[in-house]
This record gives sequence, C-alpha cells and structure tokens, in this order.
Amino acid sequence: MSIESRTLENVSSNRLRTIALYAGLYGTAALFLVPYWYMFATSFMTRDLVYSEVPHLIPWDLTLYWYEYLLTSSLIVQWTVNTVLLAGITTVVVILIDAMIAYSLTRLDWPGRRAIFAVIVASFMVPGIINLVPVYIIVSELGLVNSIWGVVLPSAANPLGVFMLVQFFKDIPEELEEAARLDGFSRLRIFTHIVLPLMRSALAALGLFIFIWTWNAFVWPLLILQSETMYTLPIGLVTLQDNMGVTEPGVIMTSAVIASVPLLLVFLLMQKHLVRAVEMQGTTK
Amino acid sequence: MSQSTQQTDADEPGPIDLSESATREWIAGATFSLPYILIAGTFLFGPLLLALYMSLHDWNALNPAQSQFIGIENYQILLSDPDFWNALWNTIYFVVLTVPPIIIGSLLLALGVNRDVKGKWLLRTIFFSPYVLTVAVVGLLWTEIFSASGLVPYYVGGGNWLTSYDLSMPAIAVATIWWQLAFNFIILLAARQNVPDRLYEAAKLDGASTWRMMRDVTIPQMRNPLVFVVIVTFVNSFQVFGQPFIMTDGGPSFSTTTIVLYLYDTAFTGRQFGYAAAVGYVLFMILIAISATNYYFLAGDDQ
Repeated sequence: MSIESRTLENVSSNRLRTIALYAGLYGTAALFLVPYWYMFATSFMTRDLVYSEVPHLIPWDLTLYWYEYLLTSSLIVQWTVNTVLLAGITTVVVILIDAMIAYSLTRLDWPGRRAIFAVIVASFMVPGIINLVPVYIIVSELGLVNSIWGVVLPSAANPLGVFMLVQFFKDIPEELEEAARLDGFSRLRIFTHIVLPLMRSALAALGLFIFIWTWNAFVWPLLILQSETMYTLPIGLVTLQDNMGVTEPGVIMTSAVIASVPLLLVFLLMQKHLVRAVEMQGTTK
Repeated sequence: MSQSTQQTDADEPGPIDLSESATREWIAGATFSLPYILIAGTFLFGPLLLALYMSLHDWNALNPAQSQFIGIENYQILLSDPDFWNALWNTIYFVVLTVPPIIIGSLLLALGVNRDVKGKWLLRTIFFSPYVLTVAVVGLLWTEIFSASGLVPYYVGGGNWLTSYDLSMPAIAVATIWWQLAFNFIILLAARQNVPDRLYEAAKLDGASTWRMMRDVTIPQMRNPLVFVVIVTFVNSFQVFGQPFIMTDGGPSFSTTTIVLYLYDTAFTGRQFGYAAAVGYVLFMILIAISATNYYFLAGDDQ
C-alpha cells in the first residue's frame, strides 16, 4: 500500500468518525428534546387533538384554552407564589447558617472545630429519606405541620453547602481580616462587611443550586404541606392529576409547562453558576 | 492560621492578653456555629437516633408514651415480610436498569461534547437541562408519553407501558435516565476538561490508538470523579420514590413498589411508624454497604 492511499484512508476514516460523532451527539440531543416538545406542543393543542387516538407532535390547531382553564379554575397561581416563597426563604436561611458555620470552621480558631467539620462531612453520606419518619414526628411535635417552616427548617442545615463554602473560605487572604481586626472591626462586622462580599460568586452558585433544589423538592412538601392553599407547584401538579379522576393530558402538560418554564429560564440565563455549583460537588472527593 | 492570629493579638498593645482573646475567639466560633448545630441536631442527628429508638418499639402513633419495647422484632418481621422482599427486588431491578445507562451514557456524552464539535454550548445546555425539572414534571410528562395514546406505544409499541406488569419498571427507568443523566454529565465533562492535554500528546507520539488513550489516559485520570459519580448514582437509584409514586403508584400488582415507596406507605398509610423506621435503617445499611463496596473496588486498589 502506498503512503498516499494510506493517508487517504486515514482521512476518510477520520471523516467517518466525525460524522458518527455528530450523528451520535445531535441524535441524542434530538431525542432529549422530544419530551420538551411534546409538553409544549400539547399545552397549545385543542381538545380534539389532545384526545385523538394517535399522538400529535404538531399543534396545527392552536388554543390557549388549557392555560385559561388552569389560571381560572385551579390554585396554580397560589402554588407558584408558595413555591417562590418557599424556595426564596430556604435559600436565604441555608446560605446564612451555612456561611456562618463555614466561616467559624475556617477562619476562627476554637477547640472542637475539626471534630465538628468531620461530623458534617460524615453526615453528607446520610440519605435524607432514612429520616422521613422521625423528622415527620419531630416536625409535628413542634406544631409545624402545614407550615412553611416545617419544610424550611429540616432542609436548613445543608452539609453540602458547608462543604462547598469551606473550600472557598480557605482561599480568602488572611491579611484582609487581620487589617480589619486591627481597625477594631468585630467578628460579626468582618463577616458581614468583608467576608460575605468577597464570596459573592460562590454564594450565588450555592444559592442558585439551593433555590432550584427547593423549588423542585417533592417528598417533604408532600408530607408537610397538607392543605391545598399551601401546596407548592410539584405537589399541586400531582394532586391536579389525582383530583380529576380521569387524566386530562391538556391540563397535565400545561401545568407541567407552568411549573418548569420559570426554572428553565433561570437555567438558560444562569447556567454558568449552576454548572459551577455542580462541578464543586464533583471535586469534593 | 491560628498562630498568626494569636500573634497579631499578642502584639497588640493594651489590656487584651492572650487568654482573653482566645476565649473571645472560642465564643465567636461557637456562636457562629450555633444555628447550624442546633438545626442539624434537631432535624438530622436527633432523628437518626429517634429512628433507631422507634425501630426497636411497637410504636404507638397516637400515644408515643405507650409504645412497647420489642427489641429487634421489627427487623425479624421485616426479614420474613414478602412485601419488603418484593420492594427490595424491585429496587434492585430498577438500579440495574438505570445505573449502567446513566453512567455509561453520561460518560460518552461528556467525552463527545468535549471533542471539538460545533455547537458545544447548545449540546451542553440540552443535556444538562432536565436537571432543573422537578420529579413531578418528569413523572407526569413521561406518564403521558407512555400512556395508551402517547408517543412510545404509538412509535415503539407495547400498549400502555405503565399498566403493564413487565413494562412499567422499564418505563420508569427510561424517564429516570433522561432526568438523571445531567448531573453526571456535567461532573464528568468538567473532569475530562481537567485532564492535561500533554498526556494525550505524549500518548499520540507513542502511537497509541484512540481506544488505548481512553483506557490508559482518560479513565485513570478521571478516576476520582468517576468513583464519585458511581456512588452517587447508586445511592440515588436505591432511594427512588417520586417517579413510581407519580407514574404508577407502585403498580400494577406492586411491580414498581420500591423500598422507599414501601417505607412511605407503611408509615403514612399504614401508620406503622416503628416498622417503617426499621425499613429505613435497613435501607441505610444497604446504602452504606453499597457505597463501601463501590469505593473498595473502584478506588481501593492502588490508592
């Protein structure tokens, strides 16, 4: 075989490989998008299309009926407000107490901090579901069933958040703090005026992660928030399906759109931060 | 760090002596940690002990003070309870259906996207996007896709998958794979990007094939993130709850009742809190055993 034909062969096998790579990646991407498309398309379809024997992917007869129906005859607006409130409050609480303990574990010198950090790291491995029963009992003893705090508090101590923030606090130059101390700043003031502002981007990544996590939380809100006016979107959606008895694909798909679009938008706008939050977890080992 | 702080304080003029500043440091440290410790104690560590205590009792939900200590009886009942074993086998079946595709799929997609492809941002966005969906949306969406007049029965066949004894679990698995691939994908993509290019250049000079580079450079270099991803995927799949709860409610004929679904039902429908706590502890032990085994086999040999 001459050298020329061999290079030619190489080129063509390279090209084949590239084609296979693109076909594999974009083919998978297209498959990944089908459920989204189906969800959006169905939410705009008329009753006839939704209830036809064969599934339709193209909504060639458009209507806003399902959206009108949901907005007027369900509590979906209320559920959205509840979800935003719950996710917002939880995010603030988690960031605050996680940042505080991460600060004291890395920047303050006191006995026991190593042991406490070790326990927090170990608690990372405890799956929350194990505690389903006892935490429910504690929450009901505290009278927090059907209260937003019954959902916020059990998820407020987040070992993952502490772990991420500890990594970041370690990188803040000590000189800054020392200078502030010499200027007579109290620890609280150093924390709120120097450390937290420096950590803005790490806190944003963690905050976004917690916000999405809480928005999507299922088991806990399902157990604790028992009256319809307290539901979050995920719980409301599921009861919507149960309450109607028969499945109404139009209602279901439209409610799914309403529940997921806000987060998909946040995701598109702030993907960088979320990627960072996820990557931080991968590098914790 | 501690030394330099103390030194600064010691150098300070004035009445503040070393021991006093150490005490203040102690107080400050404890105060800053207090909220977390209180909350974690009440909602994480306390419950862990309470669950153990409950699992050793015939728990009276209405009047806990009247609960009877029965030792390990709950655990003995559990081991001879066919419903528990059914739930365990269903969970293992689900794990087998989901873990390999999620890990291999996310690794392949991460390696593919890392190549010099056009539209990298678009691909990454698409593969990562299901991560921001709630299990409620995922469950309901795929329920429609698998329902009698949905896409899958129409294009693939099988009728309504979710009411079929054999197809219901695979249907839940497909939905789960679509949903859970994202997290691993992002971690593995980052891990692959951290492998230094010079290693590949060196391997190329040695005439290594693509396959050999994968085996000798990529996989060993990505080892820690891969171990992490394997453990996390196993642990998550073992705790599956929302998907069967929404899509099948454990049916048909309990073919998709997983351990956590069983735990949930015994606790909150059956009101057998002590027994449910025992189920939780057994699941906990299983998860520890699985994580340890994974760690031992994947990361243990030369580290």
